[in-house]
Amino acid sequence: MNELLTIENLHVAVNGNKEIISGLNLRIGESEFHVVMGPNGSGKSTLALTLMGHPRYRITHGRILFMGEEIASLTPNERGRRGIFMAFQQPKVVDGVRIKDYLTLLLTKVKGMDPLKTGKIIRKTLREVWFSEDILGRYINEGFSGGEKKRFEILQALLLKPKLLILDEPDSGVDIDSLSLISSKLRKMHGEGIAVLLITHYGRILQHVDPRILHVHILREGRIVMSGQEELVERIEQEGFRKIFEECGCNE
Amino acid sequence: MSDVQDIRSIIEEQIETLRRRNKEPEWVTKMRYRGLKAFLTAPHNDPVLSNPLEFVVGHKEKFPEVKTLEDLPPEMRALLDRLGIAEVEKKYVAGLAVQSDTNIVLNEFLKSWGARGLEVLSMEDAVKKYPALKDKFMSLFSPEESKLAAYHTAIWNGGVFLRVKKGLKIPMPLHLFFLIQNSAMAQAPHIMILAEEGSEIHLIEGCTSPILVRHSLHLDMSEIFVGDGAKVKLSVIQNWPEYVHTRPMTRAKIGKNAEFINTTVGLGTGKSNIASPKYWVDEGGYVELNGIILGQKNYHVDLGGEMLLRGRGSRGLNATKSVIMDRATVITRGLIRAQAPSTRGHISCDALLMGPDARMETYPGLISEVDDAELSHEAAIGKIREEELFYLMSRGLREEEATQLIVKGFLDPMLKDIPMEFVVEIKKIIEMAVGGGM
Ligand SMILES: Nc1ncnc2c1ncn2[C@@H]1O[C@H](COP(=O)(O)OP(=O)(O)OP(=O)(O)O)[C@@H](O)[C@H]1O
Ligand SMILES: [Mg+2]
Repeated sequence: MNELLTIENLHVAVNGNKEIISGLNLRIGESEFHVVMGPNGSGKSTLALTLMGHPRYRITHGRILFMGEEIASLTPNERGRRGIFMAFQQPKVVDGVRIKDYLTLLLTKVKGMDPLKTGKIIRKTLREVWFSEDILGRYINEGFSGGEKKRFEILQALLLKPKLLILDEPDSGVDIDSLSLISSKLRKMHGEGIAVLLITHYGRILQHVDPRILHVHILREGRIVMSGQEELVERIEQEGFRKIFEECGCNE
Repeated sequence: MSDVQDIRSIIEEQIETLRRRNKEPEWVTKMRYRGLKAFLTAPHNDPVLSNPLEFVVGHKEKFPEVKTLEDLPPEMRALLDRLGIAEVEKKYVAGLAVQSDTNIVLNEFLKSWGARGLEVLSMEDAVKKYPALKDKFMSLFSPEESKLAAYHTAIWNGGVFLRVKKGLKIPMPLHLFFLIQNSAMAQAPHIMILAEEGSEIHLIEGCTSPILVRHSLHLDMSEIFVGDGAKVKLSVIQNWPEYVHTRPMTRAKIGKNAEFINTTVGLGTGKSNIASPKYWVDEGGYVELNGIILGQKNYHVDLGGEMLLRGRGSRGLNATKSVIMDRATVITRGLIRAQAPSTRGHISCDALLMGPDARMETYPGLISEVDDAELSHEAAIGKIREEELFYLMSRGLREEEATQLIVKGFLDPMLKDIPMEFVVEIKKIIEMAVGGGM
């Protein structure tokens, strides 16, 4: 299996010197499915944002390789163009920017698509994630419900077809039906060869995904303290992090 | 040039030229002389233009005479084409009146609406046709209030008189372009709109044409009378070269339950002081003043607007959104006076500062002379938010692309009353301005 993403001994600081990621190692092979779980504040979103190149998170140590190349010095858009996509835990409102204009721009500028062909693809994909065409005239995430925001992130991933799809809690605030929809879209995208790095607190988002393929990691204070397979998800749901950390001696 | 006697005789000569050319009624000439007299004594309170005298003498430039749209100079035609106006014109026969000195170029649209009660005349013709205009002309301004108002009174030339008959509703916007030719004076068109009871009209002034005119002072004055229950929209799109000083002066009386929506889109605003607008609003009436300003280079834009809510339940909204780049400065000074019960007024001022030397100042004024008025203001001045930029860039958009999108989005809500073809053109100009070397 070719390696897609390699994170070696990563240290990340924010606001001056506060270290949030402390010596994290992770390898994701092409079209693998990885799940990262961990208590609130353990650094999951920080990891995702750092991979995407958020200017506020500073890499103080270590390397990130994507398809064999160091990406730490690349801008977020260069990373995006190389095939990394991150669905935000809290998608941002961009006031005044109409979704139709935005999605058209993404397809033409980022994917190099013929402007005449974008409309059809956008409308088809909208329906796939249960949006009506009314949404095209609205502003990005403005007035969206929590669940709508998450479906809009999935919509963009479906349109952009990345190589690595990072999802930061795509299931939080989402109703049962939408959860099932998002889960099946994950299966679909993964089935098309997209590698997935899924951050979540609950196993339910994995309902449509083949459990045998899962690589599960537990993050604690900015470091992966345990890795395993699908049964780790169940264990977390049953026992909670405290107990697991006590048993493994991870608290030391 | 600095000698007062010289100034007096230059203006006098200009007045006499206009009098002979227009064969105008005596009251008009008298008014011009009142303007001249006022010019010599009126206060000069322009924050930008220190010496108004230097603009008194215009330049002599000749343009071919224009009778139909085909006669327009190539630059002007190209401009109309760029704006998509020529196309719209052909397709939907939307209104387009081109003001060329004293002639109005009318098209089929205007002629057909003319039969139903839309009257469009050059201002020069209107003062001859309607002696009663004596009481309306310069009734919302006073020549004595400032040197520039005085100068306009003395040498106004060109302009449009527009009358919409009682109850007539015109469904599509009427486009108006200024083209001043053969003029040796400052550009000083006088515009008057009489929207009679219950009528509706949307007028778009494209002040883009003066690229043809090398005058560096543009002094237009608009007096608008919105009858009871009438609705008037006036959208002014300015795209001046940098060396032009513009002093558009707009005032309106808004009747009972009437509505006036005044939108100014200043893309190229050079050195402008739009500080004199005033709106008197009667019972149940509504006025909205929207300003969209793109400040570039060393532009200096001073945008005012005073609303007098003098009728019970009248309302006013003064909203500006500015995108300020380079070393440009934008100043807003909205003022709302609540003079009657149950009135409501709001001033909002938003600005995006695109660089360390861009500057925004806002001085909202709210004055309540009654005890149950609701007056409020809000201001948001800042840079593009990092989080929004990051969101868009993470999807693969370059910084310039994302910035353009955010800036256009910032202005989008204000462009609601501008027809699509203009919005497209406006957005293109904004993209070019903020996108740099794209
Ligand atoms: N910009 C920032 N400034 C200051 N502290 C930050 C910043 N971003 C993150 N942190 C801190 O870093 C720690 C990790 O935050 P992060 O958002 O990565 O956690 P998380 O694992 O995603 O949590 P959750 O499960 O609640 O989403 C927290 O203590 C948080 O307060
Ligand atoms: Mg998080």
